[in-house]
Amino acid sequence: MAEWTTVGSAGAVGSGELQSFGVQERQVAVANVDGDLHAFDDVCTHQQCSLAEGDLDGTIVECPCHGSQFDVTSGEAVQGPATDPVDVFEVREQDGELQVLLTEE
Amino acid sequence: MTSFVIVGAGLGVATAAGKLRDEGFDGDVVLIGAEPTPPYERPPLSKEYLRGESDHHLVRPPEWYEENRVDARFGVRAERVNLTDRVVELEGGERVAFDQVVIATGARNRRLEIPGVELPGVHDLRFAPDADAIREAARKGSKAVIVGMGFIGAEVAASLRQLGLDVTVVEFFGTPLERVLGPVLGGAIEALHRDHGVEMVFRDGAERFDGDGRFEALVTKEGRRIEGDFAVVGVGVEPVTDVAGDGVPVDNGIPVDAKLRTSADGVWAIGDVARHDHPVFGPIRVEHFDNAMKMGEHVATNLLGADAVFDDAHWFWSDQYDANMQMAGFATEWDDMVVRGSIEDRSFSAFLLKDGRLLSTFSMDRKFDVRRSMPLIASKGHPDRAQLADPEFDLRQLHPSKEESG
Repeated sequence: MAEWTTVGSAGAVGSGELQSFGVQERQVAVANVDGDLHAFDDVCTHQQCSLAEGDLDGTIVECPCHGSQFDVTSGEAVQGPATDPVDVFEVREQDGELQVLLTEE
Repeated sequence: MTSFVIVGAGLGVATAAGKLRDEGFDGDVVLIGAEPTPPYERPPLSKEYLRGESDHHLVRPPEWYEENRVDARFGVRAERVNLTDRVVELEGGERVAFDQVVIATGARNRRLEIPGVELPGVHDLRFAPDADAIREAARKGSKAVIVGMGFIGAEVAASLRQLGLDVTVVEFFGTPLERVLGPVLGGAIEALHRDHGVEMVFRDGAERFDGDGRFEALVTKEGRRIEGDFAVVGVGVEPVTDVAGDGVPVDNGIPVDAKLRTSADGVWAIGDVARHDHPVFGPIRVEHFDNAMKMGEHVATNLLGADAVFDDAHWFWSDQYDANMQMAGFATEWDDMVVRGSIEDRSFSAFLLKDGRLLSTFSMDRKFDVRRSMPLIASKGHPDRAQLADPEFDLRQLHPSKEESG
């Protein structure tokens, strides 16, 4: 059963920022695009680098190792070398907490 | 119906074809590649694939070509671009008509013209079957001899050490990659390999390969005899320009203007084979993944009339052991090098400048600086040395759009 997991406090990820959180067994990145939060698997589908260590430009996150780019709103790989998308998750701020919903595959 | 023909079977070919369809081009797209397989990624061939950690990765699934009405003819060699009849002539005599043609034939390995180079057990690496052969040799053997310590030699050395083999490398220059990076940065790569147990012989070259029916030892110009179970040669590449020459000029590759056009009407060139008149660096031929990918997309939009200059600042990576290296820009000489971080600790970025202008950035295990410096390189920026050297300073603050005027 999917459950919301609290990963930090509301406002932990400021506008234009990216941060990685451990959620159960996974690392999940949270990006703040002009106030909108987006959560996605923090493991690049090319060579498993942390995407949260990369740069966020608008809705595009760039892998710091090999330059793959993903759209944080959809998880889609928009530039190689990666071709497979990253999983995206629901994220919310509620009761002063930052929460991520991991959906079961 | 308009017909675009792309000659080659590498990354740029697949990205160009994909971009044409993404952009809604409805005409004929014909790919003619000498390799029997659809385009696949070559970077893993010296790394994960060589170590048996991953399968080789197709740029697009095999069924993609047919699904997108791309007439993909792999395993077919193009012999000549015939400008008079505007056809590509294939081996066996078939002629494929084009309205526009893109030459993306890549590069081939430079071959050592020395005795014994044809002995079984002397390998080089460009295609997946080459990597298969080296992997098989590594499985059976325990000692490898590598000739050349550019990126391929260095990556193969790292992978073979990771597989537990003894590795000796013979390199013509005084450090690995000295021709590209200079002796100081080359020294950092030398230290990385020394710490991982690679034997390195510098300022020496291959004289001949010895062996009774198969490779047994490399004899060097300085008279060393280095024995091993197999050898790998990585001494650079040369552009494959065989299809050009008849109205399409050749000069260290196929010269193209800033928009990737050759001097022949409707003939373009991209990737390793293209000597591109780059708006920042001048004429340059680039043999890296990112460039092939981006030129592929770029030429597709130009084929459709975008008429745009290709001005990417160039970027590539190399992974050796657990070190991630990146480089952007292009510099053949520089008069200043600013280091951020520590070369000794092998966590640094080095900024190569000439007359105060940033030409190129190289990093080892500092994942931000190189890509963040690219807009600065592209705009021929003259950054402040202290800011470059300051690990806390975010180079994005220097991006041209964010600079104050005046």
